[in-house]
Amino acid sequence: MIVLQDVCKNYEDSAALADVSLSIARGEFAFLIGTNGAGKTTLLRVLLREESFDSGSVLVNGVDVASVRGAALTNFRRKIGMVFQDTRLLPNATVRENVGLPLRVRGHATRDIDAAVADVLERTVLADKAQRFPRQLSGGEQRKVALARAIIAKPEVLLCDEPTDSINPVHAREIVELLLDINSEGVTTLVATHDSEIVNDLRRRVIRMEGGQVLADEPVGVFSAG
Amino acid sequence: MQARLNALRYVLGTAAHGLWRNPTMTIGAVITTTVMLITLAAFLAINDTLNTMVTALGRKSNLIAYVRDDARPSRVTAIMRDLEQRPGVGEVVFVTKDDALQLFVERFTDQRDVLDILRTNPLPASVELRMDNPAVLPALADELRGMAETFESVVVPIDVVERLLSISNVSRVAGTVMVVALTAVTLFVIVNTIRIAVYARRQEIEVMKLVGATDWFVRGPFVIEGAVIGVVGATIAAVTLVVLYAQAAPQVTRIISFLPIAADAGFVRNLAVFTVLVGLVVGSVGSYFSVRRYLAV
Ligand SMILES: Nc1ncnc2c1ncn2[C@@H]1O[C@H](COP(=O)(O)OP(=O)(O)OP(=O)(O)O)[C@@H](O)[C@H]1O
Ligand SMILES: [Mg+2]
Repeated sequence: MIVLQDVCKNYEDSAALADVSLSIARGEFAFLIGTNGAGKTTLLRVLLREESFDSGSVLVNGVDVASVRGAALTNFRRKIGMVFQDTRLLPNATVRENVGLPLRVRGHATRDIDAAVADVLERTVLADKAQRFPRQLSGGEQRKVALARAIIAKPEVLLCDEPTDSINPVHAREIVELLLDINSEGVTTLVATHDSEIVNDLRRRVIRMEGGQVLADEPVGVFSAG
Repeated sequence: MQARLNALRYVLGTAAHGLWRNPTMTIGAVITTTVMLITLAAFLAINDTLNTMVTALGRKSNLIAYVRDDARPSRVTAIMRDLEQRPGVGEVVFVTKDDALQLFVERFTDQRDVLDILRTNPLPASVELRMDNPAVLPALADELRGMAETFESVVVPIDVVERLLSISNVSRVAGTVMVVALTAVTLFVIVNTIRIAVYARRQEIEVMKLVGATDWFVRGPFVIEGAVIGVVGATIAAVTLVVLYAQAAPQVTRIISFLPIAADAGFVRNLAVFTVLVGLVVGSVGSYFSVRRYLAV
């Protein structure tokens, strides 16, 4: 459950979010589209409380994002999986270590982590890349590793920032199937994307942003350039 | 609980890894810590020795107030009682004219005839003070000199004590300044070492926080790294200290045999323990604060 009410976020010279209000129900699947600089990434980062915002209110899983701190913030983030646009993989850690990180920080036993990593690498078709370092992977593979890391701890909310960027159409399709699969397990899923083919294919809810504002929000949307 | 243990194991492993990752820096920080703490401990030892010397000398140095022959005995008794209550005064002894004569005779047996000539006892009675704290001696002497109707003169074998006192005062101030400065330098070195390590891993810290790590989980390895640097440096310093003491103490005792040497084995042991504690606290607390800034994710 995600609810934003009149959310504003300004960087020094620009408004990244301008009076954004929207709500996404528990278990829902939605696309977030818009041109470069529309505010998609900023919105997702606000939802993870990676970025603060200037005004308005944000509720995720019933938690008031503006005021969550300390141990509560840690618990809050443990219920969210995020695929960062820039992947944020640790360069000095292998695929296995990167993907296992969310479980590692939760104090899971190495044995359990290894099993979960093997499982999720299977799902993301990365099983043979477990020992590689991120620099030894293609851009698309790195993105898949980022997705594997986002879902390994079984989050309630999955936020994906361009999960299929630089992934060829066939693999992109697989990724989307995987996202739908995870969504069907009850995970609220919000996907920021430029991939018109996928958006048009799936005929799901589409939220279109421009200049920090929500311009359109259609339950069965198509990709439009505005 | 199990999760905590798993996390702890990971934190320890990461700390060990962090220390090995940049051995030059780790060794540099350890050596600096060692040098700083040896200097610090040496200052504490010198200070303590000086204090003990002053106290020891103070015990020996009496203040002697010679009583007028015509002084009222009740007045003298009252003054003595008052002196006994003063802070810093150890013992107050009354030496009668007869006692004084006795002492004179014992000490200067060859000059008996001088007394025979005089026929009367020319030696005054006296009040003698043994001090616990020689610092109050000058003021006390002035006060007694003011009682001209009771005391004919007041003698303080003061110069040695006074000189030692001023040395010990200077060394106390200098020592305090040095302790603070050296602790600060040690803190600075460890904080910087850890800060460089933290900076190198700032992206990792950020990602860990974003995927749900607690502050403790992120901070733990750095705090342990700092503590290890501090404790290892301090242990080397403490061992050096104990060895130096074992070598030097007999020599020092021989040279200034008239003084009880302050740095006895017990003191050195305490100093060693203290040094290691300083290393531990400075290392861990310093690291704790080095990471803080990067935890605000
Ligand atoms: N850290 C920052 N400092 C200053 N301005 C920023 C920062 N991050 C984003 N912006 C600005 O905020 C606006 C929204 O950026 P955002 O990254 O949310 O866009 P986006 O929709 O994700 O774009 P893209 O499709 O290119 O990823 C842009 O104008 C961008 O320049
Ligand atoms: Mg973006």
